[in-house]
Amino acid sequence: MNSTTTRRTRAAATGAAAVAALLALTACGGDGQGAAGEPETPDEPVDLRMTVWTADETQLAQFQEIADAYVEANPDLVSGVTFEPVPFEDYTTSLTTQLAGGNAPDLAWILESYAPEFVESGALVDVGPVLEQTEGYEYDDLLDSSLSLWQKDGGLYAYPFSNSPFGIFVNTDQVEAAGQENPADLVAAGDWTYDNARDIAAAAAEKSGKQGLVVRDFDFQAWENLSSVWDGWGAAPWSEDGTQCTFTDPAMVDALTWIHDATFTDGAMPGPGTTADFFAGDAAMTITQISRASSLDDSFAWDVVPLPAGPAGQQNVIGQAGIGVFAAGEHPDVAADFLAWFTNPENAATLAAYFPPPRESLLNAADLAAANPLLSEEQLQAVVVDGIQDAVTKPTHQNFAKLQETVRAQLDGLWTADADVEAVLTDTCGAIQPLLED
Amino acid sequence: MKSDVIPDPAVRPGVRPGTAGGHDEAPPARDGDGGAPHRRAARPGRSRRRWGRAGLVALLVVVSVPFVFPTWWMATSSLKPMSEILRSVPTLWPQDPSFAAYGEVFRLQPFAQQYWNSLYIAVLVTAGTILVSAMAGYAFARIRFPGANALFLLVLVGLLVPSEVTIVPLFRMVNSLGLIDTHWPLVVIPVFGAPSVLATFIMRQYFLGLPGELEEAGRMDGLGRWGIFWRIAFPLSRSALSAVAIFTFLKSWNLYLEPIVYLSSKDAFTLPQALTQYVDAYGGPMWNVQLAATTLTVLPVLAVFLVAQKQFVQGLAHTGLKG
Amino acid sequence: MPGSALRRRDAAVGYTMVAPAVLGAVAFVVAPLVAVVWYSLHEWNVLASTFTFTGGDNYARMLEDPGLRDSLVASLWFSVGLVVLNVTLALGLAVLLNQRLPGTTTFRTFFFSPVVVSLVAWTIVWSFLLQADGGINGFLSTVGIDGPNWLRGETTAMLSVIVVQVFKNVGLNMILFLAALQGVPEEIQEAARIDGAGAWRRFRSITLPLISPTLLLVSILTIVGSLEVFAQIAVLTGGGPGTSTTVLVYYLYQQAFRFNDFGYASAVSVLLFVIVLVLTLVQWQTRKRWVFHEV
Repeated sequence: MNSTTTRRTRAAATGAAAVAALLALTACGGDGQGAAGEPETPDEPVDLRMTVWTADETQLAQFQEIADAYVEANPDLVSGVTFEPVPFEDYTTSLTTQLAGGNAPDLAWILESYAPEFVESGALVDVGPVLEQTEGYEYDDLLDSSLSLWQKDGGLYAYPFSNSPFGIFVNTDQVEAAGQENPADLVAAGDWTYDNARDIAAAAAEKSGKQGLVVRDFDFQAWENLSSVWDGWGAAPWSEDGTQCTFTDPAMVDALTWIHDATFTDGAMPGPGTTADFFAGDAAMTITQISRASSLDDSFAWDVVPLPAGPAGQQNVIGQAGIGVFAAGEHPDVAADFLAWFTNPENAATLAAYFPPPRESLLNAADLAAANPLLSEEQLQAVVVDGIQDAVTKPTHQNFAKLQETVRAQLDGLWTADADVEAVLTDTCGAIQPLLED
Repeated sequence: MKSDVIPDPAVRPGVRPGTAGGHDEAPPARDGDGGAPHRRAARPGRSRRRWGRAGLVALLVVVSVPFVFPTWWMATSSLKPMSEILRSVPTLWPQDPSFAAYGEVFRLQPFAQQYWNSLYIAVLVTAGTILVSAMAGYAFARIRFPGANALFLLVLVGLLVPSEVTIVPLFRMVNSLGLIDTHWPLVVIPVFGAPSVLATFIMRQYFLGLPGELEEAGRMDGLGRWGIFWRIAFPLSRSALSAVAIFTFLKSWNLYLEPIVYLSSKDAFTLPQALTQYVDAYGGPMWNVQLAATTLTVLPVLAVFLVAQKQFVQGLAHTGLKG
Repeated sequence: MPGSALRRRDAAVGYTMVAPAVLGAVAFVVAPLVAVVWYSLHEWNVLASTFTFTGGDNYARMLEDPGLRDSLVASLWFSVGLVVLNVTLALGLAVLLNQRLPGTTTFRTFFFSPVVVSLVAWTIVWSFLLQADGGINGFLSTVGIDGPNWLRGETTAMLSVIVVQVFKNVGLNMILFLAALQGVPEEIQEAARIDGAGAWRRFRSITLPLISPTLLLVSILTIVGSLEVFAQIAVLTGGGPGTSTTVLVYYLYQQAFRFNDFGYASAVSVLLFVIVLVLTLVQWQTRKRWVFHEV
């Protein structure tokens, strides 16, 4: 009995110590918000860590090269920069676990959909002043339209290193086989509309036995990717200030009815549960980011054209990704200084091979062509250079994750042949309005 | 069925080894090809039986399809180009087989290093788990000490906790000890924490069934508790341990969430984590390379199972799992 | 008394031997659980790094959360379906493989092979097969059946997730049953045969009671495992259509890692743990009624 008591006491003591150790950790946590300043030279050069979701060797080697040059130029500031590739699927999970565990990376890539959440949360530092003051950075060269998503109260909380416009890739072999007009000709004639695109897609699918027009990555789950279509109707899921659901607005009802009918009536778009990879030759057209051009080989003839016009005219859409500096990281000032190096005009030009930069001076067909050998200057001019001007981004919201999931569950009701579009959208608004008001 | 009424002379009561000493002797003709030593060759029901057995084999063949096809598809698809993999009606054999993807597996990542990581972690975890669970299982089963039941229940709690539940506090603990991006948490936590509980449970069940006379005999020979455990109980439990070893190895080999959370540099990655890294510049999976890498992780384990399955099944058959 | 000294020494050895397992459980299971309970009393947003004590608010919120209700229903269906299918199939396969048929070794390897395959790879292959125009419907159409869109219908999606999971893991349970069956003394079977008992009767009255401890273990492991299913849902259905396959762990994961609501997620974790605990205790307590040997 005696030994049991001792034992219990000891076990309890061990447990308590372990718990105490855990709880001590919860107390810490950055309070964020401040602007990054001039980095003071630390006692010892520091190591920086940036989480990224690419695992591509060429890209990582390119990053490392840029970083190594920085280390060489600032030996007393940094001893090394590590790029930590996290699988895209698990990116946010991994990042939040690191944050929750008090092991924030110094810098991180941030998905555009989560931009407002990160910007508003105070997890990131304002990198605007550092970028502006860094010699040779040419801050004014940055496009205002690219920065707006990442700004709050005059501060810049992440740098949008990637600004890839959406366009339509066309399998011209399949379009031609179906005896349809070439989309590029329709663009030239000013007749490149969603209705025409739908008819071409339906005819091509009919002829090839494959699929017509695929909105890439939508897959009846990631509905935000449909925005590249409904922007042509001038539709939006919620109001500009993010407080009112607008799924029931006529523009959105029309746009989603069009998508529904193109899918279930016209056979122009693949139905749910059908995977069709354009790049594998399974579809006649796909809406996706221009940067996907690297997935193309010469197994079929292809072209890339801007997004078609909807009833409300033509609207360019871009997908962005940002790099932010965490307030909870150990060396936010040094990290911000590195960000200024990583994205200076010279390095931005290098990175442009994969990531169209938000720099006006680099956004010209000639410069981009050097970095993107697969695309012609005409294609780059039409889709990239013109595409970034006045472009909008995919829907974002401070409460995006919850909204995404709720809308996804509601819209599942839409993806059946006999769906009542208006009723589904009314339900959708009913479900998300409380989240918008949060 | 009436033709079966003649008892089989090979299995007369008392013939089967009933003591622990005979545990590793295989019972006669439990496996194999129907050549059982039953004397019913000239029975009238013979052809009906044969048809019945043929029917059962046919049933097994049909049932095998959903088990085998995905693995087959995975292995053969690693020889296909991307476009063929994505075809929605799967093809059984590549039109133009190529081993190019296998080269890519090693070119794109330090795959050999990652293979080694997974292997040595799994081996350490297996060895550690065997030790911890055999000791605890033995003590819980054979030694009477105050509070044993309460402590056993405390340990059993680990069986009931999904890893998603405790990952955040565990991560904080590992981080506070400065062990992020090391293999420590992947070895120490499974050996002592929740994943080893099933092993402790299996070992306890096994040792419960151990005849008390054996321990008595050991005691007569002057062995203490440790001696009885090391010299008698532990060696006898080989069969149960082999089951524990396979469970544990597989669990460690396939661990996914924890490595992703704990490890951050490519050289430290384990296999399931490495598989996710075969993606193109925009995060799109390179299916043929991923499938080639997956095949490389699956086939050796499958081969080991193929060779060792007899011992494995018989090992389990003699554990306390049966009661 | 020398006897009690011996017993004391024995007890000391006992404590030493269980120490690694017990301390491990305290450090890596109990302490994290206590931490999770502590978190659950807080509003904790990782991004904003807010950590505010809110007492029972998270638990009060659970009572009124329709999403949680849906996920409990989904979990119930999933677990019941999985346990019934898994145990039945595992037992059926084990009985078949115990018949001394030709090729038994090969079939055993076949049925076990998915256990070895990485879960993610396995699930991805099935997601191809289950598509509207995928392999399964392709096969069905050759026999004149117009297959459903498996992953898009509420019932078929749940069924698909269950079946994919069953095929993945049934081999392990099958091996456990097979081992148990091979431990059933043949002489008892023979004796019953002589008494004229039919195959089903022998199975019911002899085999089943004798393997009931394995049945208990297998069903506990399967139920606990069923409540931890995650990757399959993520790959196959993403919790849909609607919320029909958003099981509890998936819901918990969403709350923690997608919505950054660690406090609420911790409260859901506590609920999940309590459910698993209660289920296991119930099975354990009722074992005397249906388990032949005392375990």
